[in-house]
Amino acid sequence: MEATIEVRGLRKRFGATVAVDGLSFTVEPGQVTGFVGPNGAGKSTTMRMILGLDRPEHGTALIAGRRYRDLRSPLREIGAMLDASAIHPGRRARNHLLWMAHANGLPASRVDEVIDQVGLASAARRPAGGYSLGMCQRLGIAAALLGDPPVLMLDEPVNGLDPEGIRWIRGLLRSLAAEGRAVLISSHLMSELEGSADHLLVIGRGRLVADTAVRDLLAAASGDRVEVRTDQRREAMEVLTGAGAVVAVTEADALVVSGLPAATIVEVLTGKGVAFRGIAEHRATLEEAYMDLTRDAVEFRALAEETS
Amino acid sequence: MTSTVTPYRSRVDGARAGFARLARAEWTKFVTVPRWMITVGAAVLLSVLVSGLVSTGMGENTSDDGGGGPPPVSADPLEPFQDRGHFVGLPRSGDVDLIARVDSQTGGGDWAKAGLMIRGATEPGSLYAAIAVTPGNGVVLRSGTDVDIAGSGAGAPTWLRLTRSGDKITALESADGVSWTGVGTVELDGLGDDVLAGLFVAAPDEVVVTRQFGTESISGNTAYTTAAFDDVTVSGTGTSDWIEREHPSGPAAQDDTTGYTVSGGVYTVTGSGDLGPDMFSPDSTRMVLNTTLIGLCAMIALAVLFITAEYRRGMIRTTFMVSPSRTRVLLAKTAVIGTVGFATGLVSALGSFLAAKAGTDGLALPDLFAWPVVRAIVGSGVLLAAAAILALALGSLIRRSAIAIAVALLALLVPQMVASGLPLAAANWLERLSPAAGFAIQQTVPRYDTAIGPEAGIAVLCAYAAVATGFALWSLKRRDA
Amino acid sequence: MRVMRSEWTKLRTLSSTGWLIAGAVVATIAVSATAVFAVDTSHCPTPAECFEDTVRLSLGGIRFGQVVVVVLAVLAVSGEYATGTIRATLTANPRRLTVLAGKAVVLAATVAGAGALGVLGSLLAGRMILPGNGFNEANGYAPLSLMDGPTLRASVGSVLYLVLIALLALGLALVIRDTAGTITTVFALLFVAPVVGLLVTDPEWRERLDQLTPMTAGLSVQATIGTDTMPIGPWPGLGVLAAYTAAALLAGGLLFTRRDQ
Repeated sequence: MEATIEVRGLRKRFGATVAVDGLSFTVEPGQVTGFVGPNGAGKSTTMRMILGLDRPEHGTALIAGRRYRDLRSPLREIGAMLDASAIHPGRRARNHLLWMAHANGLPASRVDEVIDQVGLASAARRPAGGYSLGMCQRLGIAAALLGDPPVLMLDEPVNGLDPEGIRWIRGLLRSLAAEGRAVLISSHLMSELEGSADHLLVIGRGRLVADTAVRDLLAAASGDRVEVRTDQRREAMEVLTGAGAVVAVTEADALVVSGLPAATIVEVLTGKGVAFRGIAEHRATLEEAYMDLTRDAVEFRALAEETS
Repeated sequence: MTSTVTPYRSRVDGARAGFARLARAEWTKFVTVPRWMITVGAAVLLSVLVSGLVSTGMGENTSDDGGGGPPPVSADPLEPFQDRGHFVGLPRSGDVDLIARVDSQTGGGDWAKAGLMIRGATEPGSLYAAIAVTPGNGVVLRSGTDVDIAGSGAGAPTWLRLTRSGDKITALESADGVSWTGVGTVELDGLGDDVLAGLFVAAPDEVVVTRQFGTESISGNTAYTTAAFDDVTVSGTGTSDWIEREHPSGPAAQDDTTGYTVSGGVYTVTGSGDLGPDMFSPDSTRMVLNTTLIGLCAMIALAVLFITAEYRRGMIRTTFMVSPSRTRVLLAKTAVIGTVGFATGLVSALGSFLAAKAGTDGLALPDLFAWPVVRAIVGSGVLLAAAAILALALGSLIRRSAIAIAVALLALLVPQMVASGLPLAAANWLERLSPAAGFAIQQTVPRYDTAIGPEAGIAVLCAYAAVATGFALWSLKRRDA
Repeated sequence: MRVMRSEWTKLRTLSSTGWLIAGAVVATIAVSATAVFAVDTSHCPTPAECFEDTVRLSLGGIRFGQVVVVVLAVLAVSGEYATGTIRATLTANPRRLTVLAGKAVVLAATVAGAGALGVLGSLLAGRMILPGNGFNEANGYAPLSLMDGPTLRASVGSVLYLVLIALLALGLALVIRDTAGTITTVFALLFVAPVVGLLVTDPEWRERLDQLTPMTAGLSVQATIGTDTMPIGPWPGLGVLAAYTAAALLAGGLLFTRRDQ
């Protein structure tokens, strides 16, 4: 069977709150899929339902076409990391992986292999109580890789890693996907996924808001906006708004202009004698695209003063 | 993009997540938390130490725990036996045929005995065979410490007969003295040629419960019984000098009441003291094994934590992720904690017993390999295993370590806590019905205060453990992790 | 003090605390009621010659309640270590002795409150049930009342007993820091000692054990009659328990202030 995660019509409520409402998507192999949404959107609940830990009221979640509890050796089919800190502090990392290997009949040599793979070899024989956050994350990833599974599902894997660690995990995820595995990673920060994810599932308030390739999303979000760099910001703004464009200030010396093609902007500015240093096609960041999408779906928005 | 990528297949060899593997995983989980293993070891060591210390330093003379009367006769502490009562008999050599009719029997309660006895010598503890009639329980044939054969349900007046041939003694009864029904036969190896054959009476102490100053004391008050025999014939070679064997605190020693009169062929015998098991003998093995309580507390706490620690850290999700069959996970945990509990109980009990035996002056401890002792020691292992399984199930249901530990401790420590203060009857009912019945497995002799037999008691505890585990399994499947 | 307030909040909001307190009170009253219900004068030589210590009988449930109290005390400490909350606690207030004092005071107050409820409930049960069982005025037993000096002493002493037990467990928990280990140690100390006493046959040693073991000595405070024939008097007995508690708190305090957390 193809290595995929298939979710159809999943629904779950906790008391009066509907945490997940009619969710349907497929995670395909060969690419890194990012599962994004604000805090409380239902990402963790969805993941738990995929793993058979919480029971949905409606709908199904299948891994390679089967329910989780029907998998004979689950670790060999799907490797997951839900909560990296779920380790007994008195136990050594190596032993933490060892009991998992025993339970699924995996050879003990795998334990040492994955420990090397995540770079924990020097710390593996210390009790896990003394681990830093980053080390716990690495241990969780090691557990997910233990059975060499074709499907990986990691909840916030980048959380707590230092820059070198982030670079390492991005490379790891890409290489895993390139091997033909299906990789699902969740995050509440879009910037984390920049550069890692190929496909996005955006979730808000328990519903799927977008299911699209990253490239397409960025293209849609960028629109035809132009970025202008200038030291004479105020003058440039006046001139351009006068010409009918919509102008937004992004930095102390940068403006994003929409409504006018780049060539026209150059004309207008030079015509009015406003100096500028650079003009470029504005490429939307994933963050901006995401903000647009989830504006209505954010459940916990801090009360912020209106910014222009 | 997806269609051009060949799906990945795991390159690791796996095996079916069978139960044995799960058990191995759970075992690994237990032994890799160092402080848990240390707690187990420390508990065992402590219990052995306490037992050894107490026996060495502090024991002195035989203890007397409120039973009435002189110490029992039997040399084996596991089969405390009383060989008292009032016996009058004729010395005979070789074969004997002893017949008598018990005309009447008064006093002494339902188990007062009046009948015939052939014994090797007058000393208590000699070989004997006795057939007697009782007011409430018909005819009984007794021999040694363990032979107890019931005859018919007849009461006095009735005919009794003992026939000796070599080492074999046959007991018979009859309603009319003509047609005899066999009651049983006993073989007394090494009886020898010379025996005493005659009449006897016996009456068990009356058990009196007295409450004063807030504590109940149970004592045995001497009870007396009188029986009249007629048509007495004692065949065989020997003299006609009647020999009397009296219990030291019997009527003759008391206010000079004659215990034995003969007139017109009627022999009237009065006596006290029983021919039967001594219910007031101390159970020294059980007292020594009380130190396993330390191991019990440790196992209860560990069994609860074995599962509640996973809930607290969210590790339970990892466990269920690795092994989605929740039933199997709980059963695997049960198997592991049960094994650890059994080993702890067994080692702790064995160590305590040996330490006490090595050090003691005062406690008469029986032989290690006697069945009741083996049962008690191995049973202690079962006790701790069942208690641990019960605690694990409670932990799984309650999910919070504090409350689960408190509930498990209360359920199992009940007898220790209400030991004094509650009257015996109420305390016994509590013991029979609560999980604490399991402690009965540590009994080696039946006593007046035995609430429930060893096997029945441990069965009660195992039933509690099984029911709790069943509930836990049912609940685990239905709830979210 | 701020420390006490924060310790109180922590204890109060631990989800198990409410259950444990309720459990302690209910267990105490239930067991006391059962005891007084089950005992009557039928086995005494004559009802007047029972010489029953009705107050002590009524307060028997304390033996049960103390189990729950111990669990609560141990969890107030080792729970923090297990979840790592201890770091937050000591960051908020680095003066460790102050933290220890705060914990002790909060725990003591909570247990005292629960204990008072338990004791009052038990006495009430005794007052209502005992006369029906033959322990009435006619036989020389006054109805239980707090106005009576010895009864008051037994009641207050029982509450103090529970507080001392809780603090004893607190001290040991700071030494051992592990839930299972502490619970085992405390219960071994309390319960195994009297049981071991059964093994001892030398009467002199038996008396010494009765005088010096924490539970037996401490519970002497519940006696209202025959106090001169007991191995140790009411207040001295409680004093013995207090000595154990002080030693445990001292050891726990020393280690708490000096060790790495």
